[in-house]
Amino acid sequence: MDHFLLLVWHALLVAVFFAFLWRSDARGRKILFVKTFLIMVVGAMALGWLMFPIP
Amino acid sequence: MTADKSRGGGGSSRSQSEGDGEGRSVSKALLFLAWLIPGLGHWILGKRVRALVFASVIFAAFVTGVVLDGEIAVPQQNSPLSWFFALGCLGNGILYLLRLVWVNGLDGLLSSAFPYGLHGGGDPVAAGFFYGKTFLYTAGLMNLLVVLDVHDIGIGEKS
Repeated sequence: MDHFLLLVWHALLVAVFFAFLWRSDARGRKILFVKTFLIMVVGAMALGWLMFPIP
Repeated sequence: MTADKSRGGGGSSRSQSEGDGEGRSVSKALLFLAWLIPGLGHWILGKRVRALVFASVIFAAFVTGVVLDGEIAVPQQNSPLSWFFALGCLGNGILYLLRLVWVNGLDGLLSSAFPYGLHGGGDPVAAGFFYGKTFLYTAGLMNLLVVLDVHDIGIGEKS
């Protein structure tokens, strides 16, 4: 089981969901989707690296 | 079925003629259907694209959770917090109910211990157990937000 793939899949679903929930125009949805998706994926990776030294 | 523009019960005396959205209410049946079948509320309100997207996303998240051997939340005796988890998971509507029947059978659902004797399924030693739970809870909470969105559209707060 690829944990990173699950992370991406979860972020994808949530980003699509909020893009359609909170924006009604196509451009707004695209922007919110990209922002949300990147924040979740990159943020999770960054947190993972930051926590790496912690035993 | 459409959003009901008249005031429902409850004895409120607010005027319904004071501006857009003021005083409108939404049929409880519409909210119930929006909860029961993800996306149906938006579909009924004519928001077909949103309905399909919400239904697909919630269904995909729920199925992923089940495939990963996640456990749906059920109330546990002596664990008040479990009720919050169960309510969040109950947001999945018919998906949650079907999963409960799948795991417990009708006999389990109708047992005298209800609601405490229920099992949430899943496999606690599976590698994807906690990931699965996350997907299942996420799906439920997303559908609850969808129900709130249907309400907002119904009262005219949102288009």
